[in-house]
Amino acid sequence: MRAWALLLGGLILWAAHFFALYIVASVFHTTLTARILTLVLTLICLIGCALLLSRLRSDKETGDPFSSWMNAIAMLGALGGAIAILWQALPAVLI
Amino acid sequence: MSSETGFDPALYDRFPTKAPRPDGELEELERIWCAPKGWQLLTAVNNNYVGTFYVGAAFLFFLLAGLLALAMRAQLALPLQGILPQETYNQFFTMHGTVMMFLFAVPAVEALGVLLLPQMLAARDLPFPRLSAYAFWAYFVGGLCFFASLFFGLAPDGGWFMYPPYTSTTYSPGINADFWLLGIGFIEISAIAGAIEIIVGVLRTRAPGMTLAKMPIFAWGMLVFAGMIIIAFPAVILGTLLLELERALNWPFFDATRGGDPLLWQHLFWFFGHPEVYIIFLPAAALVSMMAPALARARLVGHELIVLAFLATAFISFGVWAHHMFTTGMPALSVGFFSAASMAVSVPAGIQVFSWIATFAVGKPRYNTPTLFLLGGLFTFVLGGLTGVMVAMVPFDWQVHDTYFIVAHLHYVLIGGMVFPFFAAFYYWTPMMSRRALSERLGKWIFWLMFAGMQVAFLPMHLTGLMGMPRRVYTYLPGRDWEITNMISTVGAFMIGAGVLLFVIDLARNFRFAAEDNAGNVYGGGTLEWLPTGLYSTRSIPVVTSLYPLWDDPKLADDVEAGRYFLPGAPTGLRETIITSPLRAEPEYLQIMPGPSVWPFLSAIFTAGFFLILTVQAYTPAVISGILAILCMLRWLWETDRPVAQEEVDVGAGIMLPTYVTGPRTHGWWAMVVLLIVIGMIFLMAVFSYLYLYGIHPDFWVPPPDPVWLAPIVGGYAMAAGLALLARRLLARERTTLWTPPTLILLAAGTLIATFAVDFASWRATGLTGPASGQGAIVHALLSLQGLLVAIVAIMALYLAARASRGLITKPTNTSLDMVVLFLVYTAAEGVVAALLTRLVPGAA
Repeated sequence: MRAWALLLGGLILWAAHFFALYIVASVFHTTLTARILTLVLTLICLIGCALLLSRLRSDKETGDPFSSWMNAIAMLGALGGAIAILWQALPAVLI
Repeated sequence: MSSETGFDPALYDRFPTKAPRPDGELEELERIWCAPKGWQLLTAVNNNYVGTFYVGAAFLFFLLAGLLALAMRAQLALPLQGILPQETYNQFFTMHGTVMMFLFAVPAVEALGVLLLPQMLAARDLPFPRLSAYAFWAYFVGGLCFFASLFFGLAPDGGWFMYPPYTSTTYSPGINADFWLLGIGFIEISAIAGAIEIIVGVLRTRAPGMTLAKMPIFAWGMLVFAGMIIIAFPAVILGTLLLELERALNWPFFDATRGGDPLLWQHLFWFFGHPEVYIIFLPAAALVSMMAPALARARLVGHELIVLAFLATAFISFGVWAHHMFTTGMPALSVGFFSAASMAVSVPAGIQVFSWIATFAVGKPRYNTPTLFLLGGLFTFVLGGLTGVMVAMVPFDWQVHDTYFIVAHLHYVLIGGMVFPFFAAFYYWTPMMSRRALSERLGKWIFWLMFAGMQVAFLPMHLTGLMGMPRRVYTYLPGRDWEITNMISTVGAFMIGAGVLLFVIDLARNFRFAAEDNAGNVYGGGTLEWLPTGLYSTRSIPVVTSLYPLWDDPKLADDVEAGRYFLPGAPTGLRETIITSPLRAEPEYLQIMPGPSVWPFLSAIFTAGFFLILTVQAYTPAVISGILAILCMLRWLWETDRPVAQEEVDVGAGIMLPTYVTGPRTHGWWAMVVLLIVIGMIFLMAVFSYLYLYGIHPDFWVPPPDPVWLAPIVGGYAMAAGLALLARRLLARERTTLWTPPTLILLAAGTLIATFAVDFASWRATGLTGPASGQGAIVHALLSLQGLLVAIVAIMALYLAARASRGLITKPTNTSLDMVVLFLVYTAAEGVVAALLTRLVPGAA
């Protein structure tokens, strides 16, 4: 499970962020509260991505090709997840 | 090199072995894996047969739905045509969409999974061959009966997404909508059965050494596809169940005048419906990624990025469902979030497109028929993707919503993203299953007819939509400037039809099923499905060391065929395959596989009978059919989970593996966990519906039963789970008699039943009924789901007792007992969550 959690970590964080934003927008509609909560949730998820990336960087040099492969995919996923989280939060600033 | 299971990877160096294989070994393999003949083919479970039946059935439904499309295009060619009456037209467009999506697209890719995966993974078969057979027959029989409703004027007519209130009994009083709701709900069960098979198959039956990094991209695609089915399909299963309950029992889930909400249906449907597009596209994209290297004669560019793109698509696709609901008046911020996600999902699709272009750019492509279909599909899909980004923009979507622009967009995406790759796959893999390859000369005609027809039919449709023609109208008035574009679209549709007709002729002339003397590796693919195979798959199971084993080791095919790798024979004398670990594919144990059986076929017939007879409201025959289905399933299971005499066997080069393993390492445990995720998702969707209805209409809600009832309910469920866990623990003790664990399970089941009765009675005491309000409906729906699980536990407990009476419960551990305990503990946990939710949210206030 640990290997899968690391592999999919960035995408899981994106999904958690998305569904949290959906709940916030459904409950608080288009209000200042919703925007602030969106920014807070975004910050939390970005910190999550940063922690995940730092963990993956520390695991990087194992010398095992398969572990390196998993690590590379996970890092790309975490990086992509962070960008997608930022993108996902933009409507709270723009609308 | 690290190990996942303690297996020493240095053991792989023993292969290929040098010693000659004993005489008669291959003949024994052939005898064990031979398929039944004649009428007994109905009992076949070999993936070659079931996969071929499956692909053939899916293609049949493609033809049938295509004929409906041609009739519709003929009707729309000119204004005020009288070819199809309005009511028939409604049935045709509903059936065209439904059949294409539910009976062609998803089953077709699932079918290719059943057909190709064992060969690509060099497994003897998928881990639950009888489940594959059940999934196929359920789908085929159910699908045919569903389609036949057209001939009686009883076909559904509410569009493929069946929005209430249009589909409520008020506006759709006949049984047409019931056919859709029960038929589709049932076919989804078949899809889920296939998905469980694929997930466990990909993760647990790969050839030794085939780590996730060396796994063929099609297996990745199918793994993600099956995972998405597990998450997405429960939403539509719950949705169809709720709408059918509303129609049959007057429980107002979607009736806004009584505390329901029609938009709840749209949320449930599209939570399934949009991922469905990617569920169809991803396996097709994976097929393209498999074919592109062979056709371009170059390794796939960006293999890792494509894997990541699959995973990212899977996740993001669950965040786009409400972009089908931009016009329903959601909060502006919600609309913004869904718009952003809808644009984001195009990024992973773009990664794949660039990867394929780069593969063709660096390679030396041959412009044969599969290449043409592949490139034609790429071009078409990109155009569909671009209009997809356009409709992700909310103001544009408001303009074109429910117009022919959307019809054009979705056909570009689905035909480019799935149909053309599917035809490319037909040409590419037919030599693996047929004595002759399909005709290249005819194939090129077919491609150009279909490709040109596609553009002629659907490009003008964008304009028709922009000029304001709405979808789903059976005719239109002259003088609106829609005549020319409609006529062009109709000509294009018939060009596609001509291409498909030629393809049928090509199939009839050249396809000759053969698992052994097939045409072979015509296109020079480098993956394992092109090893020489028989009905037993490969003679021996190779150690995989690269993504393109046949390119990197030219001697591999000879060594495999000579039995110089894993499992060159059948050490137990039964059907068997090697179960490997999920990440690094290290050999763990030998799975004994079931052979041909009539029970999966009969189970499927009676399951289909139950749902279809229910549609015509013949309740007694439906219940009898349901009981027969359960009995057939139990009979089918009765023959499984039987240890063999040899506890360990030599699977080649002196490597010993156990033949009976229990607990979380086993493929059965994994399958049960996946099944529980499906059930959990259905429950989660019910919880969403509960909270949604409360959020929309809190004024309709009445106080729940006194929270004091929670004590016996939570206590009862906890006790049942405790008894089940105790039964598993006691089985391992030497002093325990064999009857003690099943008795404890029976007690646990009894406790569950009693607790459920308390839960139900406490709600009835409040006077709240199902038809009373949205709250009454959803509370009773949650109770019904729990009641269903409790009933299944009761059947399982009796089954376990029957096995115990025949001495079929093994000590110190037993797989059947493990499965029952898992299911029972889950049922108890779900019961607790449901009881707490319905009593504490919103609570007495």
